Amino acid sequence: MTQAKYGLVLLIFLILPPVANLLESIMIIHMHMQMPLLVIAGLLMAPFFQAKFPSFFNKWNENGIPGIMLFIIIMSYWSIPRAMDDALAISVVEYFKFVSLPFLVGVPLRDSWKKLSDFGKNLTFIIFLIQFTVMGIIYIASPDQLCNNYIRAEQVTLGWGFITMAIAIFIYLVQLLFINPSDYE
Amino acid sequence: MIKKRHNTVAIVVVLLFGFGVFYFGTDGFQAFTAETARTNKLIEEKPQFPNVTFEDSKERVYTFDEFENKYVFITFLYTACTDVCPQLEMNMHEVYQRLPVEAIGEDIVFLSISFDPEQDDPRTLEKYRGFFGSDGDTWRMARIPDQAELDRLLDEFGVIVIPEENGIFTHNSAFYLVNREGQLEEVMDYTKPEEAAAKVEQYLQDEAGDE
Repeated sequence: MTQAKYGLVLLIFLILPPVANLLESIMIIHMHMQMPLLVIAGLLMAPFFQAKFPSFFNKWNENGIPGIMLFIIIMSYWSIPRAMDDALAISVVEYFKFVSLPFLVGVPLRDSWKKLSDFGKNLTFIIFLIQFTVMGIIYIASPDQLCNNYIRAEQVTLGWGFITMAIAIFIYLVQLLFINPSDYE
Repeated sequence: MIKKRHNTVAIVVVLLFGFGVFYFGTDGFQAFTAETARTNKLIEEKPQFPNVTFEDSKERVYTFDEFENKYVFITFLYTACTDVCPQLEMNMHEVYQRLPVEAIGEDIVFLSISFDPEQDDPRTLEKYRGFFGSDGDTWRMARIPDQAELDRLLDEFGVIVIPEENGIFTHNSAFYLVNREGQLEEVMDYTKPEEAAAKVEQYLQDEAGDE
């Protein structure tokens, strides 16, 4: 349960107003650092909920598909430009960010991942490969400023962040074709 | 079997929830950026043009009633602006030229409003006017000398103006169309003068059809 405590400490730390303000002041850090850290806080806290409500997870997330779908949908919501502006302008959306990313993204991801087949896992990677590539192109190529809170130069940086992650996923998927992990175990 | 059913129910709940999050987060899949959301809200609310006093390039002083019962095609600018504003005014000129000549001045008036009343006195505006083919009558350039009145207008019409150093302003730009009742009718993309002209013409034609 130490993991869960670290997760909770991390979440509280991220919610502290000076920390939140600092991370939100730069666009790419807001989306590609604060948000993933919130997800990680949820990942760390997942064992606590799994131990506390084992039947809930077994019953409602038996094959991991509902959980991974929740993960993908909420992650997608937080990648649209409007969501970032709203999180800064509307406090309800800000609270939703601090709740949804750990508990509706991090927790279900950890519970689902082990239950998924290899096909399910790879499909998840492929979905994010496509999504990150498309979002990257949108943020880089858009002639308009997409967020009222961030200038266009920051938007292009964010776009390249998306592309970088898409490349990393692509390399991972390609190596799967050539390398058998059990050879190294 | 029963276990499987729970799984299916969970998938449906997740999908509905996800749909709900996206629906509320984007105003029913209408606005994926905050700027679109702002513009949509403006068009929906149709704010009334507030009661302000203009001073134009010909040193005439009047209120918005001057344009009573006419459409008013508006842009916001400052003359010291070097990047967006000249483009904005050039595109405004294109809209001006694309509209039927008989409508200009009769059904619709063009108005460029400066949000830098300190620098943009009538003389400066008179000079600036000449660069963009504005005749000063059917297309006027004016300042709002009273800062409080100006701020109220900018606020009502969602024009964001942030003063920076050296007399430079950061601001958003658009074409604004105010209807005959003095309400904001449309906020249009200033980079697409053809579309804007077509839209304005549609308004004028629809009215002609009604009569």
